[in-house]
Amino acid sequence: MVEERRILYEHLDVPDINTFDVFRQYDGYTRFEKAIAEYQPEDIAKMVMDSGLKGRGGAGFSTGLKWSFVPRDIKPCYLCCNADESEPGTFSNRYVLEKNPHLLIEGILICCYAMGIETTYVYIRGEFTLGKKMLDAAIKEAYDKGYLGKDVRGTGLNIDIYTHPGAGAYICGEETGLIESLEGKRGQPRNKPPFPAVEGVFSKPTVVQNVETLCNLPFIVGNGVEWYTKMGPTYADTRNDPPTPDPNTGTKLYCISGDVNEPGVYELDLGLTCSELIEVAGGLRGEEVKAVIPGGSSAPILTHYELDTRLDFTSLTLAKSMLGSGGIIVMNETRNIVDCLLNIMKFYAHESCGQCTPCRWGTPWVRDIVQRIADGNGRKDTITRPKFGVTESGRWGDTGETEEIYEDLDLLESVANNIANVDTMTWNTICVFGIAVSWPAVSYMRKFRPEFEAAIREGKLVTLPVAEATVPPEENYAYQQRFIPKEFADL
Amino acid sequence: MSDELIQIETPFVFNEENQREFDELIGRYPIKEAAMLPTLHLAQRQAGYITPAVMKYVAEQLEVTLMKVKDVVTFYPMFFEEPVGEYVIRVCHTLPCALRDCKEVLDYLKAKLDTDIASETNLAKGTTADGKFTLMKVECLASCDVAPVIMINDDLYKNLTPEKVDEILSTLSS
Ligand SMILES: Cc1cc2nc3c(=O)[nH]c(=O)nc-3n(C[C@H](O)[C@H](O)[C@H](O)COP(=O)(O)O)c2cc1C
Ligand code: SF4
Ligand code: FES
Repeated sequence: MVEERRILYEHLDVPDINTFDVFRQYDGYTRFEKAIAEYQPEDIAKMVMDSGLKGRGGAGFSTGLKWSFVPRDIKPCYLCCNADESEPGTFSNRYVLEKNPHLLIEGILICCYAMGIETTYVYIRGEFTLGKKMLDAAIKEAYDKGYLGKDVRGTGLNIDIYTHPGAGAYICGEETGLIESLEGKRGQPRNKPPFPAVEGVFSKPTVVQNVETLCNLPFIVGNGVEWYTKMGPTYADTRNDPPTPDPNTGTKLYCISGDVNEPGVYELDLGLTCSELIEVAGGLRGEEVKAVIPGGSSAPILTHYELDTRLDFTSLTLAKSMLGSGGIIVMNETRNIVDCLLNIMKFYAHESCGQCTPCRWGTPWVRDIVQRIADGNGRKDTITRPKFGVTESGRWGDTGETEEIYEDLDLLESVANNIANVDTMTWNTICVFGIAVSWPAVSYMRKFRPEFEAAIREGKLVTLPVAEATVPPEENYAYQQRFIPKEFADL
Repeated sequence: MSDELIQIETPFVFNEENQREFDELIGRYPIKEAAMLPTLHLAQRQAGYITPAVMKYVAEQLEVTLMKVKDVVTFYPMFFEEPVGEYVIRVCHTLPCALRDCKEVLDYLKAKLDTDIASETNLAKGTTADGKFTLMKVECLASCDVAPVIMINDDLYKNLTPEKVDEILSTLSS
């Protein structure tokens, strides 16, 4: 069985690790001290780039690369730490804030030193009252000990950290929504470009980074790049000539919930498979895995055919899904996928910020269609039409067969794809919330189509056995790599 | 919206402690407006909910128009424009909690408190007659490992069952 490798979470359960003195006993702040004593800011930025660290908040964008976009000559530059953690199925940041807040402060200090940043805002979701309290207390201690404030440890650096509470809106997790919210406005995302790295909060260059991403920094600095890159797979991206390395390095705080025996956060090297993770989490609660959501509710669903998919950024992208925030939700054979989709669509319909028409109207529309199907009022047309699928030549097209039309399923796909098209990965909206809506909608429907059809046919929710409910990969274009070249290989 | 359209009954001012906290807050940002969310949280804690008087006061303090404050208040679910009960019970009903039977907890609370579930535009609907509790559904509280969960005011309660709900409610009412 795969072993947990606790790095970020190593001292999480040490009593009083939230206090400065105990944190200090466990090497606390020594990595920051090492950074300022031994390295120039540019060296740190280069180390982060070389470590291959990818953002843990959702987009999985290379942190080093993001830093390289920040203009060095425009000051002030801000750091916004994203502690909004609202993606359903994700709960790893909460434990850092509540139990080991000094680790986050140390990460922030290293980032500030590397980027020449003096002010950091930690945007904490409004419901995290305990987390905010603990972080505030830790910040106060750090000020008292001279690790924050004017002239940090006699280095001449001035670094301030402030916490900023959210107020219950999921969209404030999106980086530009967060920035708007931080400026005291509605959390409605901005058009990009300009990206926050160039023009962010208060119209100044801004680095937005997730809590977990920042918590990786002390260990990269403390143990070195070579140590860090040994964890997790590095693939070769053969789309480029010569192939470029595609790192999925480090550990990930996998949050696993739903039908497993021991839900929780498990810190593991990136790159283990879905079934391995379920084993680590005490095994499945139930007989059979029906479906797994691999990266928070926004990620396309995986079926039991796909359980050997490796849970890292590259592998999941190739599987037409995403690692996202690392929130893994497992569903067993008793679950009805229509019902699950309904739950998720209610979430998105509630959380749309209302700026763009396709999202504002499309999302409730999708929800209503699924509701109708779940209530047994799904619309079914009686005519038949040519069936599209994988033809003999192996391409997508007219198969020569015919199929019955389920009007509501066509409508569902059409509405969802008009918010954001999941096949071409283009969106008609300002932010990628649009994709987060259509990804689940379309993937659940395509991969578990028999269950949707049964609900419409029978006029009620019907939970089919796993084998019958799932469309096999070879028959379903939801699984097909149509836009991402497949030529990734292990290095 | 002009000031005259809002009926201001009793004016609102920060008490001494909150005023001190507010003064500290305002120094954190290069523009005053940025202190909007923490200021509204502070005001809501003092006043119970965001009354027109609160909005007017906050607008003055942050030197923005009343409309801007109203704009923000209506956007965020955590700000209430109507009175709520002494205890606000937030029941998470997103997928991981739903997979762990949050519906049972919700139905039990509904029956036990003899109230409906509040909606964002009608909080009174979910408030008990004695004004003690307000019951509402919320989205994922980032504690799916200990689902189903509820929050009562600032505290999180985990792995709930009807029996545990009973226990919690009895400690609250005593
Ligand atoms: C709708 C939406 C919600 C998001 N919610 C969060 C969130 O709760 N926490 C988070 O860290 N990132 C969230 N993100 C991702 C952020 O936009 C951003 O990519 C991230 O904070 C960058 O930090 P990282 O590079 O360290 O991951 C969200 C993105 C979208 C589109
Ligand atoms: S896509 Fe939706 S959430 Fe994003 S900006 Fe548009 S309306 Fe708002
Ligand atoms: S779904 Fe209830 S806490 Fe996440």
